[in-house]
Amino acid sequence: MVGYHLQLASRSLRRNPVLTALMVLAIGLGIGASITMLTVLHNLSGNPLPSRSDVLFHPQIDPRPVNLRGADPEPPDNLTYIDAVNLYRLKGPGRRVIMSSNWLPTRADVPDSPLAMQTTRPTTSDFFGMFAVPFLYGAGWSEQDDEKHAQVAVISRALNDTLFGGRNSVGKQLVIATKSFRIVGVIDDWNPQPRFYDVGGGVRRTGAFGKPDQLYIPFFTWLDVPQDYGYGDMSCWGNDDNAGDHEPRAGNCTWVGLWVQLDGRAQVDAYQRLLEGYSAGQHTAGRFEGPPNVRLRGLVDWLDYKHVVPAMARMQGWVAFGVFLICMINTVGLLVAKFLRKSGEIGVRRALGASRRQIFSQCLTEAGTIGIVGGLFGLPLAGLGLWMVRQQPVAFAPAAQLDLPMLAAALLLAVAAALAAGLWPAWRASRVTPAMQVKSL
Amino acid sequence: MSVLMQVSPILAALRRHRSAVVLLILEISLTMAVLGNLIFIVEGTLQRSRTPTGVMESDVAVMQSISVIGQGNPGNVGNSLAQLQQLPGVVAAAYGGVPLWYAERDRLFLDSARKAPVAQAYAFQGSQAYSRALGVRVIEGRDLDDDEIPVAEATNEHTVFPALITRALATQLFPGQDPLGKMFYNADSGFRIQGIVEHLRGQIAGKFDDDFSMIYEARIGAMDMGGGFTIRSQPGQLVPALRAASDLMQRMNPGHVQNKVYTMQQLRTESFRGDLALGNMLVVVMVILLVVTALGVSGLASFWVQQRRRQIGMRRALGATRGDVLRYFQIENLLIVGHGVVLGAIAAYVLNRLLMQDFEVAQLPFGYIVVGAAMVLVLGQIAVLGPAMRAAAVPPVVATRSV
Repeated sequence: MVGYHLQLASRSLRRNPVLTALMVLAIGLGIGASITMLTVLHNLSGNPLPSRSDVLFHPQIDPRPVNLRGADPEPPDNLTYIDAVNLYRLKGPGRRVIMSSNWLPTRADVPDSPLAMQTTRPTTSDFFGMFAVPFLYGAGWSEQDDEKHAQVAVISRALNDTLFGGRNSVGKQLVIATKSFRIVGVIDDWNPQPRFYDVGGGVRRTGAFGKPDQLYIPFFTWLDVPQDYGYGDMSCWGNDDNAGDHEPRAGNCTWVGLWVQLDGRAQVDAYQRLLEGYSAGQHTAGRFEGPPNVRLRGLVDWLDYKHVVPAMARMQGWVAFGVFLICMINTVGLLVAKFLRKSGEIGVRRALGASRRQIFSQCLTEAGTIGIVGGLFGLPLAGLGLWMVRQQPVAFAPAAQLDLPMLAAALLLAVAAALAAGLWPAWRASRVTPAMQVKSL
Repeated sequence: MSVLMQVSPILAALRRHRSAVVLLILEISLTMAVLGNLIFIVEGTLQRSRTPTGVMESDVAVMQSISVIGQGNPGNVGNSLAQLQQLPGVVAAAYGGVPLWYAERDRLFLDSARKAPVAQAYAFQGSQAYSRALGVRVIEGRDLDDDEIPVAEATNEHTVFPALITRALATQLFPGQDPLGKMFYNADSGFRIQGIVEHLRGQIAGKFDDDFSMIYEARIGAMDMGGGFTIRSQPGQLVPALRAASDLMQRMNPGHVQNKVYTMQQLRTESFRGDLALGNMLVVVMVILLVVTALGVSGLASFWVQQRRRQIGMRRALGATRGDVLRYFQIENLLIVGHGVVLGAIAAYVLNRLLMQDFEVAQLPFGYIVVGAAMVLVLGQIAVLGPAMRAAAVPPVVATRSV
């Protein structure tokens, strides 16, 4: 039966090649445009670390005065220096890491190595293990290195290529902000998107879809080096927005990010209590004006909360939806006209004993065929569209890649859309009264 | 035959295809809603990318010279500026940044107690000759004078800087008053307004306070500071002047890292690259929408022409001219698309409201609705032309044949 329906469908479609082509073209364009934009949106809102996202949490506490004008009721994204160090020292149930970002003048400790500014992530030893960072050579530093303010550094593969021609540079010396640092590790290409630990961007305006950091050094060592190159994504309250520019330890400026690893509900609850206890203690001590206002968001919740997907991409998603809807309506309209034009033929088939069901499935087969052909035509268009997006000089351009699941989804979407568009026209066609049609022949 | 007389039979015929007509009207109205809003967004982007910053953009450039803290540097700002000033083609050189690059935003107060901020403004803080290096246009009062500005080393929280502010900021701070000579404060210092500049935009985000800016200067001598160094060249000599200036800065300041050198034009290109790229994408989407809708219109019209071949033949046999048949389909299209356009105007406003909630989109002006409507109407007429001409070509003899 299906073979017969397909045969009828292909004959009917070939009878009006121009109109069939129009329908295929309309579906193809719609699929192409919407898949392009949906792929970008899908890749931008993806999970940056699927293997670790369940156990990574971002604590927030609220150190601000209670009656701050125009203040967001949500606690600030980052911590003040004081709270960050206090929470870092208060060992919770699992691993924890504090971090910030800026850039530092860096060169290899050999003659003629040119000094250049390198994006830097000051952090603590658990960063590499918690975030599953792959190493090309060597490894991260130890917690003792953090405590001793050791002058050690981990560099990116790209910086290793620039400074050492890609050779194993573990043990080599760097001059960072005039101080000597020993390289302990080189990390392989690693840039989880969105960069959940750097959504604010800070002074270097790197942000959720920015380039990877080139240099990683121990947080406390970083504070020691002679520097005034900015301190992360800083935000201050009070009358002076720039209060912490030169004094990062200022009590009214937040800029240190804290991430903790918590395995299981019990640990999450325990850490939540720890945060509340800490806030209550600071409140009693007079440092925090308000009662505890804490958050403990998981990685995925954190990305949702921060709306990391750029407004530009979200808007493109809506436009894609609009284009798709218009193409659907277009297809429904054309199919209604097409099937009703065949009323005579349908009447004859009904009179010869075809059931309504058979007419219905015959019409749907025709619609589905258009959908498959339109989808097949739309896929290269989507490829072309994504290629165009990748040519855009925007930070998220590399995210515009069509992978196999997305490819399959696109084809499925095309067929489903065409079938959905065919449902109502096919139903109408199956309601044709044979007597009326046969009489008018 | 008058056009009006044709309308009622057309409507009667359309009623027989109610569902297809309703779908087509829906499609047209959605197309118009999306189209009107996209044109508006793209047009807004283009407009912003052409909004001047207020500095002499064709002749101004900035060099970012970052001082490596803790490493001695034989150079200092005063000497560097004096040497830069001597370079051929350089009109003025100063310590300080340029718009679209980096400008701090300060909260401003009218009282020295700093109780309630009255505005947030871009603070362009620089050395002697800064306002001349930017090349801003002073339209009231007078420009800053190197002899009247405070010396950087001697400034403290009681220092009062002579300042230039934009007309937009003056109106915000002192509405309806003469701003010249008036005082205002940021978190650190006091300012006396000495002149009004026409425009100075720190960023061009399309916001009302883009043009809230102030310029103030301090005399910098033997201090070594890293940061932005702005130069302005003679007209048309920016490229050679900038090359010479960047070499000179590097020679004089071996303790600095020269990170970036930008002309204002490069900064502008860089700032709007992403937005303009999005604009291009949206233009492609608009073209696709127009094509799809045109396909829908001409597809349906073709079906109807085929379906009505006998009726058309009959009308021709009864004396209708080819022109009458052609016009019949054109008027039919105009009626359908007209309905779509009316619905589309409403849909465009609704869509605009939704976009305003979620994205930074302004209210859709009526003009865009008119443009969108005109585009869709013309598109409909073009799309129907082919099928209508085929209908007009139906010979009267068709009426005499049975199917």
